[in-house]
Amino acid sequence: MTEELRAGAPVLEARGLSVRRGGATLVAVDELALYGGEVHVLLGPNGAGKSTLLHALNGLEQADGELVFAGRPVRSGRDRLALRRATSAVFQKPHLLNTTVKANVESGLRLRGVERAEARRRAASALELLRVGHLAGRRPVKLSGGEAQRVSIARALAVDPLVLFLDEPLASLDPPTRRALTDDLLRIFERSSMAVIWVTHDRDEALAVGDVITYLERGGVVQTGPALDVFTRPATASFAEFLGLETFLSGRVVHDPDGSTRLLLDGGGELHCGDAPDGAAVVAVAPEDVVLLARRPDEHGASLRNVLEGTVKAVAPSGRLLRVDVDAGGLEIGALITRAALDDLGLAVGSPVVAAFKAAAVHPLSRHERQQPSAGNTE
Amino acid sequence: MDLLWQGFLEALRLLLGGDEALYEIALRSLWVSGLALACAVVVGVPLGGLIALTSFPGRRLTVTFVNTGMAAPPVVVGLLVALFLTRSGPLGQFRLLYSNWAMVIAQVIIALPIVTGLSLAALQQLDVGLRQQIAALGANRLQAFFYQLREIRVALLAAVMAAFGGVISEVGAVMMVGGNIKGQTQVLTGAIVQETRMGRFANAIALAIILVTLAFTANFVLTAIQQQGRRV
Repeated sequence: MTEELRAGAPVLEARGLSVRRGGATLVAVDELALYGGEVHVLLGPNGAGKSTLLHALNGLEQADGELVFAGRPVRSGRDRLALRRATSAVFQKPHLLNTTVKANVESGLRLRGVERAEARRRAASALELLRVGHLAGRRPVKLSGGEAQRVSIARALAVDPLVLFLDEPLASLDPPTRRALTDDLLRIFERSSMAVIWVTHDRDEALAVGDVITYLERGGVVQTGPALDVFTRPATASFAEFLGLETFLSGRVVHDPDGSTRLLLDGGGELHCGDAPDGAAVVAVAPEDVVLLARRPDEHGASLRNVLEGTVKAVAPSGRLLRVDVDAGGLEIGALITRAALDDLGLAVGSPVVAAFKAAAVHPLSRHERQQPSAGNTE
Repeated sequence: MDLLWQGFLEALRLLLGGDEALYEIALRSLWVSGLALACAVVVGVPLGGLIALTSFPGRRLTVTFVNTGMAAPPVVVGLLVALFLTRSGPLGQFRLLYSNWAMVIAQVIIALPIVTGLSLAALQQLDVGLRQQIAALGANRLQAFFYQLREIRVALLAAVMAAFGGVISEVGAVMMVGGNIKGQTQVLTGAIVQETRMGRFANAIALAIILVTLAFTANFVLTAIQQQGRRV
């Protein structure tokens, strides 16, 4: 089926797709395109419709609207079966069949009519890829959560899918297991031309793996675009709140001979930051770590190594505090202060202000940079 | 006590001596109940699947009927079948009353709700997520059904064992529709009743030993298959 895909054309495309149940619309998207070699993250809070959308996209859920897979419209039950047979899915729970690990990984291939010897060979190589070849003879009950999810992913990859659907694949794993599996998945994606749809409610996970991010809320798409753009420029207040009200900045980390670390910002300017490896990075600055001052701090405030002069762009309540957005020469920084502090400083929209924060308040986030060019993009 | 002991020894002598009539009755029992069970499984499992995995008006009522059927007294089933098969009954023209086929029909009616009810309950309990996973693996409807059956195989074999136990040991229906005719429609349970009534306890005990051995062997084999690759 790969040959049928025109270069640069999306492998899966949804137009005006919606899922309704009992008169209510669970999710509706105007347009969503998925390209080979791309990890497309569906991000959003619980109940946003991410999983429902994923089910509609891989033919598990009947949906209204247009779904085009590999250039062909998906309309009938037969089309949806063809779609499921050219793709594969991994859910939050591994859902392994009550048979051996080996037979589990062979199952997708056997269902597609691949003969036994070939299925066995491909299953063994998929298990090796996920570093669980030694578990081939075991039964699912004898596996840990991380091992079971690796087997589930091996089963999905064994069929060599055009699209891999991942529905919160790391959500039930502990942090070390999650990190190790993320690293392995990114290694596999890098060498593969398949498209990946990854559903998560975890913003750090989304940033770590996503090339493109679509943020959903209450069954609708709020924002979609390249991961860095989406994180550094959230389109709505609620999305910014979902991201933790933090300021996300992208740039390049450099280490100075004196042992300090700086982030050269993509948009110009620089910040002192916490320790991070050299190279491209995304950092987050939590608004509660930002101090607002009327003028530049004296030497007593020397630990506040980042000092930015700017003007107040917006003031909005955030719980019992106020969130003040400061525009510092094109760089936007948010700060949380009390109402009393706002009055003391005499701040209003347009007032000059100094935003200051420690180097340690600039947290570098893990971010995977894909080396291979993707088959297309959403721009 | 002496009667029991003497009866037991005589029974052993009959069994080891290869009493032909005894083995003929045992084989007939096995044939009638085995065929009835096979029919019940072939119809009952897909029927259970259909009820469990689809939704239609009157579904709940259907489940209630199936569950009630699981507790249907064999004599009542025997009465119904006899009414249908009697010469003046709706199926009288086939002249099946007092034949082995009549006994098979009665036992299918006894076993069918057990197989249907227990397989539908097991399928309903299957994790919805697993069902979705099977579909996502690329299974068509039929493949998905067989994959689900494989997942509930322990419960399915329990259903088969329960149904076999129900039919091999029942006496009411087979005697009513088969007539307990020696050499023609007599099965183990009917023969035990008759031999006991006539005071031939040794024969009754020998037949009982065969009946229990048959039930044990069948369940031993089914349990071995069921417990193969036990989860824990």
